[in-house]
Amino acid sequence: MTTEVKKIKKDAYQCEECVIVPPVDIYETENEYTLKADMPGVVKENLEITLDNNILEINGMVTEEDLNEEDLKYSEYKLYNFHREFNVGRDINANAITANLDQGVLTLIMPKKEEVKPKKIEIKSE
Amino acid sequence: MYTTYDIFDDVLNLRNVFDRFFQEMPVRRSVEFPYINLFEKDDAIDIKAIIPGVKVEDLDIHLADNSLIIEGERKSDYVEKPYIRREREFRKFKKSVRLPFDVDRDKINAGLKNGILTIKLVKSEAAKPKKIEIQ
Repeated sequence: MTTEVKKIKKDAYQCEECVIVPPVDIYETENEYTLKADMPGVVKENLEITLDNNILEINGMVTEEDLNEEDLKYSEYKLYNFHREFNVGRDINANAITANLDQGVLTLIMPKKEEVKPKKIEIKSE
Repeated sequence: MYTTYDIFDDVLNLRNVFDRFFQEMPVRRSVEFPYINLFEKDDAIDIKAIIPGVKVEDLDIHLADNSLIIEGERKSDYVEKPYIRREREFRKFKKSVRLPFDVDRDKINAGLKNGILTIKLVKSEAAKPKKIEIQ
Protein backbone atom coordinates (compact mmCIF):
# COMPACT_ATOMS: atom_id res chain seq x y z
CA MET A 1 0.00 0.00 0.00
CA THR A 2 2.66 2.50 1.01
CA THR A 3 4.79 1.63 -1.99
CA GLU A 4 1.80 2.26 -4.20
CA VAL A 5 1.26 5.69 -2.72
CA LYS A 6 4.92 6.50 -3.18
CA LYS A 7 4.75 5.38 -6.76
CA ILE A 8 1.75 7.59 -7.44
CA LYS A 9 3.48 10.55 -5.86
CA LYS A 10 6.58 9.96 -7.94
CA ASP A 11 4.57 9.54 -11.11
CA ALA A 12 2.67 12.73 -10.52
CA TYR A 13 5.72 14.66 -11.62
CA GLN A 14 7.16 12.36 -14.24
CA CYS A 15 4.52 10.30 -15.87
CA GLU A 16 4.11 9.32 -19.44
CA GLU A 17 0.39 8.88 -19.20
CA CYS A 18 -0.28 12.37 -17.88
CA VAL A 19 -2.37 14.44 -20.24
CA ILE A 20 -3.52 18.03 -20.42
CA VAL A 21 -7.20 18.67 -20.97
CA PRO A 22 -7.24 21.62 -23.35
CA PRO A 23 -9.79 24.39 -22.83
CA VAL A 24 -12.42 24.29 -25.55
CA ASP A 25 -15.05 26.58 -27.02
CA ILE A 26 -17.92 25.11 -29.02
CA TYR A 27 -20.61 27.04 -30.79
CA GLU A 28 -23.39 26.15 -33.10
CA THR A 29 -24.69 27.76 -36.23
CA GLU A 30 -27.45 26.67 -38.55
CA ASN A 31 -25.17 24.54 -40.69
CA GLU A 32 -22.30 23.49 -38.48
CA TYR A 33 -20.68 23.16 -35.10
CA THR A 34 -17.35 24.91 -34.56
CA LEU A 35 -14.88 23.77 -31.93
CA LYS A 36 -11.83 25.72 -30.89
CA ALA A 37 -9.19 24.29 -28.59
CA ASP A 38 -5.95 25.70 -27.20
CA MET A 39 -3.15 23.24 -27.76
CA PRO A 40 0.22 25.00 -27.69
CA GLY A 41 3.23 22.98 -28.78
CA VAL A 42 1.33 20.62 -31.06
CA VAL A 43 2.21 20.35 -34.75
CA LYS A 44 -0.21 19.28 -37.46
CA GLU A 45 1.50 15.93 -37.99
CA ASN A 46 1.05 14.93 -34.36
CA LEU A 47 -2.60 15.78 -34.09
CA GLU A 48 -5.14 13.00 -34.28
CA ILE A 49 -8.86 13.60 -34.42
CA THR A 50 -11.27 10.68 -34.63
CA LEU A 51 -15.02 10.44 -34.66
CA ASP A 52 -16.18 6.97 -33.82
CA ASN A 53 -19.56 5.87 -32.49
CA ASN A 54 -20.52 9.43 -31.63
CA ILE A 55 -17.36 9.96 -29.60
CA LEU A 56 -15.12 12.71 -30.84
CA GLU A 57 -11.58 12.21 -29.65
CA ILE A 58 -8.80 14.75 -29.91
CA ASN A 59 -5.22 13.65 -29.27
CA GLY A 60 -2.26 15.95 -29.62
CA MET A 61 1.32 14.89 -29.10
CA VAL A 62 3.65 17.57 -27.86
CA THR A 63 7.02 17.63 -29.53
CA GLU A 64 9.10 20.38 -28.09
CA GLU A 65 12.60 20.41 -29.44
CA ASP A 66 14.23 19.06 -26.38
CA LEU A 67 16.20 21.37 -24.24
CA ASN A 68 17.91 19.46 -21.54
CA GLU A 69 15.91 19.08 -18.35
CA GLU A 70 19.08 19.85 -16.44
CA ASP A 71 19.26 23.28 -18.01
CA LEU A 72 15.79 24.15 -16.78
CA LYS A 73 16.39 26.67 -14.03
CA TYR A 74 12.92 28.03 -13.45
CA SER A 75 9.65 26.46 -14.46
CA GLU A 76 6.02 27.46 -14.42
CA TYR A 77 4.59 24.89 -16.77
CA LYS A 78 5.16 21.40 -18.03
CA LEU A 79 3.76 20.22 -21.32
CA TYR A 80 2.13 16.85 -21.60
CA ASN A 81 0.20 15.39 -24.47
CA PHE A 82 -3.27 16.75 -25.00
CA HIS A 83 -6.35 14.59 -24.82
CA ARG A 84 -10.04 15.27 -24.80
CA GLU A 85 -13.21 13.38 -25.64
CA PHE A 86 -16.69 14.56 -26.39
CA ASN A 87 -19.97 12.79 -26.86
CA VAL A 88 -21.56 14.21 -29.96
CA GLY A 89 -24.98 13.79 -31.45
CA ARG A 90 -25.86 11.85 -34.56
CA ASP A 91 -26.34 14.98 -36.61
CA ILE A 92 -22.70 15.42 -37.70
CA ASN A 93 -21.58 14.67 -41.21
CA ALA A 94 -18.36 12.82 -40.39
CA ASN A 95 -16.97 12.97 -43.91
CA ALA A 96 -17.07 16.73 -44.13
CA ILE A 97 -15.23 17.65 -40.93
CA THR A 98 -12.36 20.06 -41.48
CA ALA A 99 -9.59 20.90 -39.05
CA ASN A 100 -7.13 23.75 -38.97
CA LEU A 101 -4.26 24.36 -36.59
CA ASP A 102 -2.87 27.86 -36.24
CA GLN A 103 -0.44 29.03 -33.55
CA GLY A 104 -1.54 26.37 -31.12
CA VAL A 105 -5.25 26.87 -31.67
CA LEU A 106 -7.21 24.05 -33.26
CA THR A 107 -10.36 24.94 -35.16
CA LEU A 108 -12.61 22.07 -36.00
CA ILE A 109 -15.63 22.64 -38.22
CA MET A 110 -18.24 19.90 -38.09
CA PRO A 111 -21.03 20.36 -40.62
CA LYS A 112 -24.44 19.01 -39.81
CA LYS A 113 -26.12 16.37 -41.90
CA GLU A 114 -28.44 17.60 -44.60
CA GLU A 115 -31.50 16.04 -43.05
CA VAL A 116 -31.19 17.91 -39.75
CA LYS A 117 -30.61 21.33 -41.22
CA PRO A 118 -33.52 23.68 -40.76
CA LYS A 119 -35.71 23.76 -43.79
CA LYS A 120 -37.98 26.49 -44.78
CA ILE A 121 -41.38 25.23 -45.65
CA GLU A 122 -43.01 26.96 -48.52
CA ILE A 123 -46.61 27.77 -48.05
CA LYS A 124 -48.62 27.43 -51.11
CA SER A 125 -51.70 29.44 -51.27
CA GLU A 126 -54.23 29.14 -53.93
CA MET B 1 33.00 34.18 9.32
CA TYR B 2 32.86 33.74 13.04
CA THR B 3 29.60 34.40 14.78
CA THR B 4 28.50 34.07 18.32
CA TYR B 5 25.59 31.91 19.17
CA ASP B 6 22.49 33.74 20.18
CA ILE B 7 19.36 31.97 21.34
CA PHE B 8 17.22 34.50 19.46
CA ASP B 9 18.75 33.47 16.15
CA ASP B 10 16.97 30.17 16.43
CA VAL B 11 13.73 31.89 17.25
CA LEU B 12 14.05 34.03 14.15
CA ASN B 13 14.94 30.98 12.08
CA LEU B 14 11.79 29.31 13.24
CA ARG B 15 9.80 32.30 12.15
CA ASN B 16 11.43 32.13 8.72
CA VAL B 17 10.49 28.48 8.44
CA PHE B 18 6.86 29.34 9.09
CA ASP B 19 6.91 32.27 6.71
CA ARG B 20 8.40 30.17 3.95
CA PHE B 21 5.84 27.47 4.51
CA PHE B 22 2.98 29.88 3.97
CA GLN B 23 4.61 31.69 1.07
CA GLU B 24 5.41 28.57 -0.85
CA MET B 25 2.15 26.80 -0.24
CA PRO B 26 1.08 25.44 -3.60
CA VAL B 27 -2.47 26.69 -3.25
CA ARG B 28 -1.32 30.24 -2.73
CA ARG B 29 1.07 30.17 -5.66
CA SER B 30 -0.43 32.25 -8.39
CA VAL B 31 1.46 32.75 -11.59
CA GLU B 32 0.71 35.44 -14.09
CA PHE B 33 -0.20 34.64 -17.66
CA PRO B 34 1.75 33.64 -19.74
CA TYR B 35 3.49 30.72 -18.09
CA ILE B 36 7.21 30.60 -18.74
CA ASN B 37 10.12 28.23 -18.47
CA LEU B 38 13.66 29.53 -18.18
CA PHE B 39 16.62 27.52 -19.41
CA GLU B 40 20.25 28.35 -18.91
CA LYS B 41 23.09 26.66 -20.69
CA ASP B 42 26.62 28.01 -20.65
CA ASP B 43 26.27 31.54 -21.98
CA ALA B 44 22.77 31.28 -23.31
CA ILE B 45 19.46 31.87 -21.61
CA ASP B 46 16.29 30.61 -23.26
CA ILE B 47 12.87 31.69 -22.14
CA LYS B 48 9.78 29.89 -23.36
CA ALA B 49 6.27 31.14 -22.87
CA ILE B 50 3.05 29.44 -23.87
CA ILE B 51 0.74 31.86 -25.62
CA PRO B 52 -1.65 29.97 -27.89
CA GLY B 53 -3.54 32.09 -30.38
CA VAL B 54 -1.52 35.27 -29.95
CA LYS B 55 -0.40 36.90 -33.17
CA VAL B 56 3.08 38.31 -33.69
CA GLU B 57 1.74 41.81 -34.25
CA ASP B 58 -0.07 41.78 -30.93
CA LEU B 59 3.09 40.93 -29.05
CA ASP B 60 5.64 43.33 -27.66
CA ILE B 61 8.85 42.27 -25.95
CA HIS B 62 11.34 44.67 -24.47
CA LEU B 63 14.25 44.72 -22.14
CA ALA B 64 14.20 47.20 -19.30
CA ASP B 65 16.71 47.35 -16.53
CA ASN B 66 17.63 43.68 -16.55
CA SER B 67 14.03 42.57 -16.75
CA LEU B 68 12.41 41.15 -19.82
CA ILE B 69 8.91 42.42 -20.32
CA ILE B 70 6.47 40.36 -22.34
CA GLU B 71 3.42 42.36 -23.19
CA GLY B 72 0.55 41.71 -25.51
CA GLU B 73 -3.02 40.90 -26.08
CA ARG B 74 -4.77 37.70 -26.82
CA LYS B 75 -7.55 38.96 -29.05
CA SER B 76 -10.90 37.37 -28.63
CA ASP B 77 -12.25 35.23 -31.44
CA TYR B 78 -15.74 35.05 -30.02
CA VAL B 79 -18.63 35.33 -32.38
CA GLU B 80 -22.25 36.19 -31.81
CA LYS B 81 -23.48 32.64 -31.82
CA PRO B 82 -24.95 30.37 -29.18
CA TYR B 83 -22.08 28.77 -27.28
CA ILE B 84 -22.35 25.24 -25.99
CA ARG B 85 -19.07 25.45 -24.16
CA ARG B 86 -16.88 28.40 -23.31
CA GLU B 87 -13.64 27.71 -21.54
CA ARG B 88 -10.94 29.67 -23.29
CA GLU B 89 -9.74 32.99 -21.94
CA PHE B 90 -8.79 36.17 -23.75
CA ARG B 91 -7.12 39.16 -22.22
CA LYS B 92 -4.34 41.65 -22.26
CA PHE B 93 -1.24 40.54 -20.46
CA LYS B 94 2.01 41.96 -19.23
CA LYS B 95 4.64 39.97 -17.48
CA SER B 96 8.07 40.91 -16.33
CA VAL B 97 10.76 38.27 -16.00
CA ARG B 98 13.76 39.16 -13.93
CA LEU B 99 16.88 37.95 -15.68
CA PRO B 100 19.50 36.25 -13.56
CA PHE B 101 22.37 37.84 -15.54
CA ASP B 102 23.22 40.89 -17.55
CA VAL B 103 22.47 40.14 -21.18
CA ASP B 104 23.92 41.32 -24.45
CA ARG B 105 21.33 43.77 -25.74
CA ASP B 106 22.24 43.29 -29.39
CA LYS B 107 21.87 39.53 -29.42
CA ILE B 108 18.25 38.95 -28.55
CA ASN B 109 16.20 36.63 -30.71
CA ALA B 110 12.54 35.88 -30.41
CA GLY B 111 10.42 33.40 -32.32
CA LEU B 112 6.82 32.30 -32.20
CA LYS B 113 5.97 28.78 -33.22
CA ASN B 114 2.91 26.62 -32.52
CA GLY B 115 1.78 28.97 -29.81
CA ILE B 116 5.09 28.85 -27.97
CA LEU B 117 7.23 31.96 -27.77
CA THR B 118 10.97 31.36 -27.51
CA ILE B 119 13.27 34.20 -26.56
CA LYS B 120 16.99 33.55 -26.84
CA LEU B 121 19.35 35.72 -24.85
CA VAL B 122 23.12 35.71 -24.49
CA LYS B 123 24.99 36.75 -21.37
CA SER B 124 26.92 39.98 -21.63
CA GLU B 125 30.71 39.95 -21.52
CA ALA B 126 30.69 41.25 -17.98
CA ALA B 127 28.44 38.45 -16.76
CA LYS B 128 30.47 35.64 -18.28
CA PRO B 129 32.52 33.65 -15.82
CA LYS B 130 36.22 34.50 -15.81
CA LYS B 131 38.98 32.13 -15.02
CA ILE B 132 41.43 33.46 -12.54
CA GLU B 133 45.04 32.56 -13.11
CA ILE B 134 46.96 31.49 -10.06
CA GLN B 135 50.46 32.89 -10.05
